[in-house]
Amino acid sequence: MLVARPALAIPPFARQTGLACEACHTLPPELTPFGRRFKLNGYVLTTRPPLVNDIDDKKDNTLWLTDLPGIAVLAQMNYSHYNRAPPDTGQPYPAHAQSDTYQFPDQFSLAYAGAVSDHVGAWMQLTYNGQSGSVGVDNIDIRYTDHTLDNQWVWGITANNYLTFQDVWNGIGSYTIPNFNTVSLYNNGVAGAGTTGPILNALGPGVVGGIGAYVFFNDSLYFEVSEYHSAVPGGASPVVDSVSLAANGGALDRFAPYARIAYERDWGYHSAEIGASALYANWIPSNGYVSRQQQAAAALAGNTYTPSQTFNPGAIERYTDLSVDWQYQYNGQHNIFGLLGHVTHERQQNSDQLVAATFTGSTPSGSAIYTNPTDTLTQFLITGEYFRDRHYGGLVSFTRTTGTYDPLAYGGNGSPANQYETFELDYVPWLNVRFLLQYDVYQVVANNQSPFNLSNANFPNSPGFTNIRAGNNNTWVLGLWMDY
Amino acid sequence: MNKLKVHQLGTVVLALACMGVGTSGAAEISLPPVPTDPSQLPARQLVSFACSKCHGVSGNGVSISPIFPILAGQNAVYIEGQLKLLRQRGRADPHARAFMWGISRGLSDEEISDLATYFESQPAVTGKPSNNPALAAKGKEIYENGVEEPKVVKCAQCHGDVGAGTNNVPRLAGQHKGYIALQLHYYHTGVRENKLMNRNVKNITDDQIEAVTEYISTLTP
Repeated sequence: MLVARPALAIPPFARQTGLACEACHTLPPELTPFGRRFKLNGYVLTTRPPLVNDIDDKKDNTLWLTDLPGIAVLAQMNYSHYNRAPPDTGQPYPAHAQSDTYQFPDQFSLAYAGAVSDHVGAWMQLTYNGQSGSVGVDNIDIRYTDHTLDNQWVWGITANNYLTFQDVWNGIGSYTIPNFNTVSLYNNGVAGAGTTGPILNALGPGVVGGIGAYVFFNDSLYFEVSEYHSAVPGGASPVVDSVSLAANGGALDRFAPYARIAYERDWGYHSAEIGASALYANWIPSNGYVSRQQQAAAALAGNTYTPSQTFNPGAIERYTDLSVDWQYQYNGQHNIFGLLGHVTHERQQNSDQLVAATFTGSTPSGSAIYTNPTDTLTQFLITGEYFRDRHYGGLVSFTRTTGTYDPLAYGGNGSPANQYETFELDYVPWLNVRFLLQYDVYQVVANNQSPFNLSNANFPNSPGFTNIRAGNNNTWVLGLWMDY
Repeated sequence: MNKLKVHQLGTVVLALACMGVGTSGAAEISLPPVPTDPSQLPARQLVSFACSKCHGVSGNGVSISPIFPILAGQNAVYIEGQLKLLRQRGRADPHARAFMWGISRGLSDEEISDLATYFESQPAVTGKPSNNPALAAKGKEIYENGVEEPKVVKCAQCHGDVGAGTNNVPRLAGQHKGYIALQLHYYHTGVRENKLMNRNVKNITDDQIEAVTEYISTLTP
């Protein structure tokens, strides 16, 4: 599935509050302690007087409109150069694709961001994605919040379409590095299965919708409970679940609960957070079937299949993700430093219908898709960032993913492993314009993740691709991000 | 009922006069409040809604980060003057621009006065013993006697022996060391304009700033 990265910063918030970007952000999208509280309070802090205001008999607000809606234009462009030209998937070996790609734009978004009323705020984004070549609903987060006079308790309800997009710390899920929407070989269209990672990072716009409630106590302790459902544009679930399944390579089955706890402590120029999160999700693969009735009927029939059936009734991948994340920030007068990351462990239990040893029926591909009834995946990510005088900065990020070997899922010897670093230099002449030079260096790109791996089903006619190294995937990226 | 702004009251009076209603009846007219305009909220709610995000989350005026000044116990006249200066963009140091130009833009004179009174009434932060007595002693010398050559005017002359300040001279005692150091730097370079302070610290060095702020952090009026 292809999901956009969260937008880095939003000018309408600056217009609404009168605050410069640096009030809320260190190196966007990282939030300062102030930025986190702005978001937890539902984006409603405003210093603009309302142009239109109405109240009811109880003096409660019934309409609150500023003179200017919080509209933003956001654009990202990039030029990427790959160390080695990847194979052309449309032609037999030795056809090659070009080793450069110019995404212009990589992403182009229109967004509304800001207060909707005195207790409701929203972030709603429509994005043209250069890689998919289409316009779609992007990140959405709508909040209702309130707080006690002394801010001892802040609470809110969030409706959003990107698991972890609602989070105010940047160590997990949708905020994983790189923040810039880099076009790696994994996702530019010639890749195989794409980079492996926990499902916690991947439930985004066009895939899910969710609602959650949170409290922030004593300016330090955060607790949230959310639940997510399949929410696929163009599919009126449950009538056409097959559309959902085909569009995203699968869909969530019923609801996926998510819980999050975090503790933040601020002192002097310092801010530190440690948190944990848990997700339980049933994922129906694209050759599964979603209907509960169908599942029940199949169970009665002993999970056997009729000859005309194209879906596996009751086929489920059951994910349990547990994650620990952290963030440390030094927000000095001139120097800003950040260290953040997460360790996420995922346990994936596959239905008998999907596993080779217990596979009993036929699927569109005619075979089971997993070797193991239970797979695990562990991802470790740590990033260090530095920003000087809000003009010059950079980051170094390290990601390592390991897991159980599953040849049917990942091809080759079945390893899902990857390991890579991102090095980035940033120049920010103005706070809403950012130039970046990034180099992604890969040490491990196992099996189907690599477009150079000819065990990949994309290259059935190729006799072999010589000298396969993980470093073939190394990528230079020259990027421009701007918004207004 | 919320208090009406001066110009709004004028409009009401003018409208009533045009309708042939005597101004003596204006006191009996109850107009609906406008509760969600931040510029018209009572000061305490305004603190909870906006100021507390930087200057102490509970509303006590004690900020955590030295980027933001501690307002608790600060002289009301000084706060009022600075808020008005910030509102009219008369202070041009970077953090004033980034934070306070926007936050103060909708404040009325009455709210500014209320906010100043509120923060002055909050319990001030007391000084702490220095971890570097030698440096603090050097700072004490500068604070109380200034520097002869090149000339740095003694702080105590205006801010008082214990840093309490008075009226439009700010209280320094209890303030973040880092905040005072940055302001001294801004006064020294002229980024923050104040003819008196620009002249007083024209010759101050980084070492002297470090020493004098070390001493100020020990003061309790």
